[in-house]
Amino acid sequence: MATADPIPAVSTASPPPAASLLVMVAAMPQEQLDRLLTNLTAAFPADNMLVATQNEFTPNANPALRLILAPSTNAAWASTAADFVNAFQLAQEERVRAVLMLGPGSGSLTAQALHDLANAVLSSGVDLAMPRYMLPPNAGLINSAILYPLTRALFATRTRFPQAIDLGLSLRMSERLAAAAQRFTSASQADALIWPVNEAVVAGYAMDEYDVGPRALPQPADTDINAILSLVTGSLFADIEAKAAVWQRPRRLPPPRRPSPELAHADGTVEGARMIESFRFAYTNLQEIWSLVLPPNTLLGLKRLSVTDAAEFRMPETLWARIVYDFLIAYRLRTINRGHLLGALIPLYLAWVAGHINTTAAGTSSERHIEALAAAFEADKPYMVSRWRWPDRFNS
Amino acid sequence: MLNLLAIFFQSGTNTASQTTYADNASIWRHMSEALHQSLYRVLSLFIAVLPGILAFFVALAVFTLIGMAISASLRRALTLFKFDDRMARTRGNVEWTPASSPTGLVARFSFWACVLLGLIIGVAAFDTSYATGTPLPISLLPYFTHAVGAILLLIAGNLIARFLSRSVLIGAVNAQLQYARFLSLGIKWLVLVLTAAMVLDHLEVGGDIVELAFGILFGGIVLTLALAVGLGSRDLVSRSLESHVERTGDRNPSARDGSGSNPAETIRHF
Repeated sequence: MATADPIPAVSTASPPPAASLLVMVAAMPQEQLDRLLTNLTAAFPADNMLVATQNEFTPNANPALRLILAPSTNAAWASTAADFVNAFQLAQEERVRAVLMLGPGSGSLTAQALHDLANAVLSSGVDLAMPRYMLPPNAGLINSAILYPLTRALFATRTRFPQAIDLGLSLRMSERLAAAAQRFTSASQADALIWPVNEAVVAGYAMDEYDVGPRALPQPADTDINAILSLVTGSLFADIEAKAAVWQRPRRLPPPRRPSPELAHADGTVEGARMIESFRFAYTNLQEIWSLVLPPNTLLGLKRLSVTDAAEFRMPETLWARIVYDFLIAYRLRTINRGHLLGALIPLYLAWVAGHINTTAAGTSSERHIEALAAAFEADKPYMVSRWRWPDRFNS
Repeated sequence: MLNLLAIFFQSGTNTASQTTYADNASIWRHMSEALHQSLYRVLSLFIAVLPGILAFFVALAVFTLIGMAISASLRRALTLFKFDDRMARTRGNVEWTPASSPTGLVARFSFWACVLLGLIIGVAAFDTSYATGTPLPISLLPYFTHAVGAILLLIAGNLIARFLSRSVLIGAVNAQLQYARFLSLGIKWLVLVLTAAMVLDHLEVGGDIVELAFGILFGGIVLTLALAVGLGSRDLVSRSLESHVERTGDRNPSARDGSGSNPAETIRHF
């Protein structure tokens, strides 16, 4: 028997017609917000869009747009758990069909990029629209070294930026992410990171990736590499641990996309030399801790690397993949305190970065190197699954 | 006359030898009595406390078995209810992460709680039989409880020393401090010396000597560390201050607001 929709009966006042798209905008300087609003107006009909911003605004400043004030969060960099909860609450209140979440610095995104992301979730049947940024070769290195290859190997997705700053979400995807975020906010961890790609894979939702061109990447409030790496890697490791039942199943990786153009090559040899020194120093001091986590073959690889000449310094892809997997397993087994574990990973990550700088300086494309790394992670996934299931088998 | 003298001397010699013989027999008898009494008292004490000792071991064994059973059933039940996954979801990525899974922790806690309960009950039974069985002034029981406390202190001190030593080592290596290992060792020994002093003080061994030795050792280690770090890190501090001043001078305001994506920029980790 058909029943009437109960929502109109409940809502007593309905001033403007409901918008289709809710745009959640993080706090940013006013000139960036103005640029973003101009691009949004160019990308969508203004009456079809509701913009929720954390910036203070005067109602008459943008008469063409419907602006509302979003709850304030601490999203100085990536979207936090509180952002996802707020986005879904607003989406429900405003009865929109999709949500476009734009992080700090999104004023640098073009109108076309904004349109692509939003259009995907509004009319293409995609639940999660991920951006693919065009970055300089030596930018986003934690993403290139750990987040991308690990997510690709375990969750069988080619999303290049699993922790993207901007997202297009269908309503059900937004609901799912809000539910995941709710667990953190209820535990007073409103600033925790959420992994939308992993959630979409677990839920079986459709996702796609869109080239959005260059983007100004905001940096975390704490620019210390120790803090960033521990925060991001720890969060991803915890998410992988929670979704172990899903990623252990074999999945087929989608076909590769055409490679994106790269920005101009940047020189980082000075920093590379410092990182190599940092790794060598750590090698002489942290062996005792590494030996608790890494198998003998990996330690042998590190020993060889520690005596390699700086100009020839390159961490083999297979060695780095094995290191990340072994640290992930140690994280799960709590072999040592997790804070110590992630701290002990930092010099190894710096060694990978130094090798990456040398590789790109030698003329190899940065993207090609990262794709080779991701392929190494995929090839070594059976080792990861095997040790995850039978951790006592400390084989090489 | 001669006969009289002979009789006198003979009788005198006999009296002396008889007295000597009587004295020797008395000593042996006294020794024997003392030994018998001592043996009797020790055996009486042993017989008096034997039920207590047996009760102690029986209580410990029974409660250990109960603890094992409870621990195993808890582990199985919590695994069945996916307790670890639920905890991971509700707790998220918190800073404090114990070395065992939540299920393992609960199971281990229940086991050791039972063992501790058995220990308390056993000691109480031993105490009762000991108090009623003998008035001997041997302070065995208080010393035993002190020894247990000292062992706990020793274990806790070792764990804390290892944790702090690793924290300092990793932090110092990542901060590129050349004396990282030395600093880590210094912290480790500081905590170990402190633990040893606390243990000895708890056992009431050594008295003032321990306090004095601890003060000298602790002060010596702190002074050594302060001198080593202070002298060794002069260059580091000056370099750090210089680079801080340079960073402050060169800081581009756009880097803070997120528009600082410059292709010429060298390394960006995120």
